[in-house]
Amino acid sequence: MSDPLIVVDRLHRHYLVGGETVRALDGVSFSIARGEWVAIVGQSGSGKSTLMNLLGCLDTPTSGVYRLNGSDVEGLDDDALADLRNREIGFVFQTFQLLPRATALQNVELPLVYRGLSRRERRARAAQALEAVGLQNRMTHRPNELSGGQRQRVAVARALVGNPSLLLADEPTGNLDSATGEEIIRLFSELHARGHTLLLVTHEPRLAARCPRAIRLSDGQVVGDGPGTEIAALGAARVVHG
Amino acid sequence: MRALGQGARRLLGELVEGLRIALSSLLGARLRSLLTTLGIVIGVMTVIAIVAIIQGLNAAFEEQIASIGTHTIHVSKYQWVSQGQGEWWLMRNRKDLGLAELRAVEREATLATAVAPQVSVFQGTVTQADHELRGIRITGTDPRYLDTNGGAVAAGRFLTETDVDLSRTSAVLGFEAGQRLFPGWEPEAIVGRRVRVEGHVFTVVGAMARRGKFMDLDLDTIVFLPYTTFLRDLGGKRSLILSVSSAPEHLQELQDQLIGILRRVRRVPPDRPDDFACNKQEEFLKLYNQLTGALYAVAVGVGLITLVVGGIGIMNIMLVSVTERTREIGVRRALGARRRTILLQFLIESSVVATLGGAVGTALGLGTARVVSLATPLAAAVTPSAVVLGLTFSAAVGLLFGSWPAWRAARLDPVEALRYE
Repeated sequence: MSDPLIVVDRLHRHYLVGGETVRALDGVSFSIARGEWVAIVGQSGSGKSTLMNLLGCLDTPTSGVYRLNGSDVEGLDDDALADLRNREIGFVFQTFQLLPRATALQNVELPLVYRGLSRRERRARAAQALEAVGLQNRMTHRPNELSGGQRQRVAVARALVGNPSLLLADEPTGNLDSATGEEIIRLFSELHARGHTLLLVTHEPRLAARCPRAIRLSDGQVVGDGPGTEIAALGAARVVHG
Repeated sequence: MRALGQGARRLLGELVEGLRIALSSLLGARLRSLLTTLGIVIGVMTVIAIVAIIQGLNAAFEEQIASIGTHTIHVSKYQWVSQGQGEWWLMRNRKDLGLAELRAVEREATLATAVAPQVSVFQGTVTQADHELRGIRITGTDPRYLDTNGGAVAAGRFLTETDVDLSRTSAVLGFEAGQRLFPGWEPEAIVGRRVRVEGHVFTVVGAMARRGKFMDLDLDTIVFLPYTTFLRDLGGKRSLILSVSSAPEHLQELQDQLIGILRRVRRVPPDRPDDFACNKQEEFLKLYNQLTGALYAVAVGVGLITLVVGGIGIMNIMLVSVTERTREIGVRRALGARRRTILLQFLIESSVVATLGGAVGTALGLGTARVVSLATPLAAAVTPSAVVLGLTFSAAVGLLFGSWPAWRAARLDPVEALRYE
């Protein structure tokens, strides 16, 4: 447990746009220990989405090191990355991204289908995950029969069901009203208390302030790393380190 | 399940999941699915219906062709199955086949199991009281006819050696001929009655059982006479047909033997071609297969073109489906779906759509065949192979035309797919 879960060292991600190189990430370094609850904040264009894609193993860096749970992500092929996402990462998206024609249970089962578990085991674990987010009475409902908060809970259950080492949430409250958003934040807080490692990408100071730690990005670089309340309050104005 | 490896279970799970998605998206867009599969439905329907009709034709033809004797060579002046008109005039001028040839074949064809001469009037007239039959075939033959050409007697007897040897005025009526000359009579009652054949009085000695048709020849209206009587009363200046049977394995050798005998008897110089023809059932089969083969090819061609059009429809709708579900693909990839998984999902969807279309098309095609066989003389035969063919073909079309959209879906970049609006 002494090893950090995530080690990021001089991470670069450059895009070629119209013959010009855009440095979406320009030498980002940090590490995150197991059980931490970290917000990644920054304005749009700061590189936080790029960072999330890299941390989520959806994309590979131009240069630099990304070590997740002790293994180097560099050089993995597409299938290996897919398997790594399946095992190590649980995604929560801003717009929930549930399959509209599948029940809550079927939605939550999906990552386990890709893992090759038996039907019975999938069912049991999916039911357990739904229970953990308080939706034991909504298992056979389809997304359009659920409220926004409930949908996001299903999405969280889907992210948790594979027992990943990292929960990665992209603007998880962005599509919810403030009361429901608060409900989801409380859910994250509970998950944190149970020992899950949570990484939230957000531009909402209110959400960042609730996280014990926040990392602020600006122009592809880390410009702040500290307690959530401080980083959220700082805004982009004060640059801690260049 | 426990014995299954993780990989196999994953594949199974993905297949089941793929099927579930395919069915739910089919049900989710019923009208679209219906329109998409219409091309396949029509294509499969066409092929199935035509195949069923052709198979029915084949069955009917095989039945007919058996009626002229499977292992029989019919030696005649004329080539029955000939290509082109010119030859017919040449054949007409050939020397008639006569009794000399018959005797020589009877004497020397050691491989023959039966030899029967036939001499015919094609548009004959037979009368009985005030009933008249016109335009029927009157054939002079001998008892071996039943061995070489088939047929059975329903009442009385067939011609005998004595009928032939004494040139008796005996006649055997085909089933239809008997029914029409003696309407409402039992076949047994006809025996012993008198009829006029081309003006000559004959005594009915037997009536044939029903035999059916061969090509345009109605075997049931033939009136049989002893060939000796025929040649005496109806005119001797006619060419004989010699029907010669053998064991099936000797048919080719028999033909060689017959050619040798006839060339010698008819004094054909070695450098001249045969001035007679050995007609076999298989020549009809060949001709028939040529005709229906072309029909088959056209039908299958039309069906395939329709299937290709249907396939393009499926490809089109699958491309739309991939675009519509770009974000879903991104989510699935994020949750751990490999490229293969996505590929499989869309392949399953396209082949399920196509196979369902194929199933509907098969049902409609069989229905069409049924209607055709009820409404027309064509007998459509439904075979399980046609059904299997229809389903297999449509599934293959689904796979083939679904593969490009599926490949496009599979190579989507997860980041791009998730960002897609």
